[in-house]
Order: sequence, then structure tokens, then C-alpha cells
Amino acid sequence: MTELLERLALCVEMGKIDKATPYPPELAGQDGADELTKQALDKGISPDDILHKACVIGMHSIGEKFQRNEVFVPQLLIAAKAMTCVMYHLKPFFVSGQIKTKGTFVIGTVSGDLHDIGKNIVCMVVEGAGFKVIDLGIDVPESAFLDAIHGNEGCIVGLSALLTTTMVNMEQTVNAIKKQYPQTKVIIGGAPVTGDFAQQIGADGYSHGPQGAVEFLNKAVV
Amino acid sequence: MTDNQWDNLIKIVNGTRLDPLPAGFIIDCPWLPNWFGINILDYFTNDDLWFSANLKATEIFPGVMFFPGFWSEYGMCSEPSAFGAKCSFPENQFPHADKCIHSLKDIDRIRKPKAGVDGLSPFLLNRLKLNRKRMEESGHKIRFSVSRGHLNVASYLMGTTELMTGLLTDHGQIHKLLRIITDYLIEWHDVQQKTFPSIDGILILDDLVGFIGEEEFKQFGLPYLKELYDRDVSIKLFHNDADCRSSVKYLPEIGINIFNMAFNTSLNELKELTGNKVTMLGNIPPRDVLARGTPADITKAVRDMIAALEDPSRIIVSCGGGMSPGVTTENINAFIQGIT
Repeated sequence: MTELLERLALCVEMGKIDKATPYPPELAGQDGADELTKQALDKGISPDDILHKACVIGMHSIGEKFQRNEVFVPQLLIAAKAMTCVMYHLKPFFVSGQIKTKGTFVIGTVSGDLHDIGKNIVCMVVEGAGFKVIDLGIDVPESAFLDAIHGNEGCIVGLSALLTTTMVNMEQTVNAIKKQYPQTKVIIGGAPVTGDFAQQIGADGYSHGPQGAVEFLNKAVV
Repeated sequence: MTDNQWDNLIKIVNGTRLDPLPAGFIIDCPWLPNWFGINILDYFTNDDLWFSANLKATEIFPGVMFFPGFWSEYGMCSEPSAFGAKCSFPENQFPHADKCIHSLKDIDRIRKPKAGVDGLSPFLLNRLKLNRKRMEESGHKIRFSVSRGHLNVASYLMGTTELMTGLLTDHGQIHKLLRIITDYLIEWHDVQQKTFPSIDGILILDDLVGFIGEEEFKQFGLPYLKELYDRDVSIKLFHNDADCRSSVKYLPEIGINIFNMAFNTSLNELKELTGNKVTMLGNIPPRDVLARGTPADITKAVRDMIAALEDPSRIIVSCGGGMSPGVTTENINAFIQGIT
């Protein structure tokens, strides 16, 4: 049972989506996240264990490597794809309440910004860390963030921006959130964003990468 | 760029140390229209406004080299438009190209566009043709052929996430796409150079290079960049203000002789990594210092940066990346003051 979960964690970390996918070459022809998740469920391993003892561990491991510049964006994204494959099988258990998520994370790229790569990476890694993720997409107006907070009590909000120009909209969005929902925690990130900027605009946190976002969220839900 | 500036640029690239060090910036639509007081759409659609904005920058800052100088561009739509990407132009926002490749299989449908005819490329060329005379009358010449790089264009055509995962899962299809894009870009630079014989430089911008590791760079970046830069011109400028650790040591091998980078790697380290063969165009933080700092902050940051240089040859003092939106005349003057 443990071995199966270890293999599944490795598949997530290395981005082995399923048997048919040739990547990574060293696992070619072997079962991937898709097959191993099915096998684990068939053997009666709890969905919660599949999430926390395989998926979360695999994503944590690749996230740490990314933070140390041992892997890069492609490897992180392919790991997230493998994780998404696991999540597909676990979805019914989230719906039934058999798996408890750590909390809800609402994320979007702020108004005027059409870039999604950073946001997508954070979405995937945060989901892999056991949070429910509500992805509002790109070019998200303040009102959409406010509606999402209204509909998801206690959620934490993530704002992404890739452009220096749209960072201004990030400030406006933080202001709008804090005015209406002062208790809601907001973390910001994106290529031009810094910790200083987060402080200046009144955000609660900043992360340079996805792993930092997970650490922020883990602390926020304690 | 004037003849004198161009001559100086070539001297700098060849290792001559100018005193004081020269200042230079990459300027385009994220900064220039709003600095000039017009909206971005007007800048893109009105030749007089475009010309006046560029001319004013050269007149207000006569000692500063602007790269590429009088840049005819439509933001990130310039090249993807030739491949059929839908382009959107909100009035005072950056234009955006929607992806037109929705699966790796779609790459089989992609054909090389005709440079100078397809998409926005004829408009890009014609703006320069129509303004060439008055540009030259004001002492400036068209010096660079310009394009985004092959990975950057690919990311717009198929989406960054899909390109990044494709680099790992389907080498064949990704190489097929990069081949077509690179062939187009080579032809596009050819057309620009043939149209404007004063061109003696090439500028390529590709931040996607900064998203990948060294192994992927060697396979999907290096060979194509070598082809793109294999031109008989004096100046070969590359902009990547994402991470450059995987790629920077290969810049001399590619033939690049000026590099505009992100601000988070020191110029000393970059010079060492490139064997001091590449002129560095950088690297004051463009937003936190140049756009948001006080004039005093900026002057100090520039002085500190210059003082920290172990070898001031092959340096053009700039920001790490292109000129950020919102940088004021006062702040640029403070930047220049830090050099002199």
C-alpha cells in the first residue's frame, strides 16, 4: 500500500501522467498517475491518503526543486498535469465530503492583464497541496473577486500580475477587497511584484513562486 | 539613433570605454505613448503621433541611446498576427494576440507566413517607409531589424502552458512549430534589412528563454537563436528580462554582443558568465527604482551600480528590462545625473 503511494508520489513529482505518455523517458511504458490512482482506489486506499500521502508529497517535492532552481517551468507544469489526473479520480470524494480540503483559495490575474502562466502554476501547486482552488481566470475585475469572496466565506485570495502596468490594478483590487472584506487575507505574486510592493498596497503576503504561496496558505489556515 | 551614437555603440561593443559611461534604454509602447501624453491606440494608429513621440524622446534626452529607436511595433501582436492570431487593441491597454493553436496536432496546419505581406508586417514596414525621410532629416536612421524570438512567438500562438509542457512531451511537434516560426522570422528580418539598407543591427526579444532549464534551452533555444542571429550586422542585441541563468553563458556562442537582462543578476556576474564578450545593457530595477523611486534614489542607485563594476568596459547603463510605464522625465534626468 505504501509502495503504491510512493510510486504515485513519484509520478506526480516527475510528471508521469499515464502509461501512454512518453515523458519522463525513464518511466516510459510504466503506469502513470492515472493508472496508479485507479489501482489505489481499487485496493481500498483512502482518497484522503491518496491526496495527502502521494499527491501533496509529489507536488511539494517538485515545488521545492523549482524554488531551488533544480527544475524549471516545464517540469513544474507537467507535474501539475499529473496531479490534475489524480484529482480527476478524487473529485467525487471532494464532492461527497470524504476528503476535506484545507481551505479555499480564490485566484485570478488582475484586470487588464491577460497572462496566465504564473497564475496557472500557482493554481496547480496549491491544489496539489490540498486546497480547493477557484480560478477566476485572467483579466478579472474587482467585482468578480468580491463576488467570489462573498460566495466562499473564509477564502484566501491570490492576485497575479505579469505587467508593471497592471500592478496598479492589483492595488485597486486589494483596496476594494480590504474595504468590503477586511478579514480576507490576500497574497500577491507575479514577475514584477515584490514584497515591498505587497506591503505598500496592503496585501497580507507576497510570494515569488508557488511554494511560497503554499507556505503562506498553510500558515493562514492554521 | 544618430550616426555618432551608432559609432559609439560599435566602439563600446568592441571594448572601448567611454567616459562617462553611456546611457541607453529599450523604449516602446508600454512607456512611450503615456509619457508623450497620448493613449496607446493613438500611438499605434497615427503616424504623426508615433513619430512625434519618438522624436521628442530623442530631443529631451539627446545623450541617451534609444533601442531600437523609432520602433514600429504593435506590441505582442506584431508577429503572431502574421500566423492568423486574433489581435485585440483595447484603447489604452497593450494589444493582445489570442492563441490559434489549440492542440499539438493543430501545428500540422501552420504554414510559414509571407514576411512583409501577412498580418501586421506590411503596416510595420510601411510606417517606417513613410516616416523615413523625416526621421533622417532629424538626424536619425533606422538601425535595427526587430522581432520577438521564436519561443515568445510560439507561446502566443499556442499558449505558454501548452508550449512549456510540449517541450517535454512532444519534441517533434514543437520542433516543427519552432522551425516554421524561425524560418518566418529570418525572412522577416531579411525583408526589413532589404527595405532599409541603413539597418546594421538586429534586436530580438524573448523572455520565454528564461522559463526553461539549460537542457531545454540547448535543444529548443540555442540552435534557433544561432540561426536568427546569423546575420552580417554589427550589433546583435538580445532582450530577456526573465531568468537568464540557463542561457547567459551561451550568448557569445550565439553571436549576441549586447544583452538587456533582468535586474536581479549583477553586471559583474553576467560579465564573468559571458567572458566579458557581451556588452551589458542594464540593470537598475525598472519599476521599483526608475519608475517609483525618488530622483535621489535613482541617482544613488545608478552611482552605486557604476561604483560596484569591476570592469566598466562593455557597459551601457540602463534598467534591467525595457523602460517601465510611468517613468517620468524627472526620473530619467536623475538617472543620467547618476552617470555624469
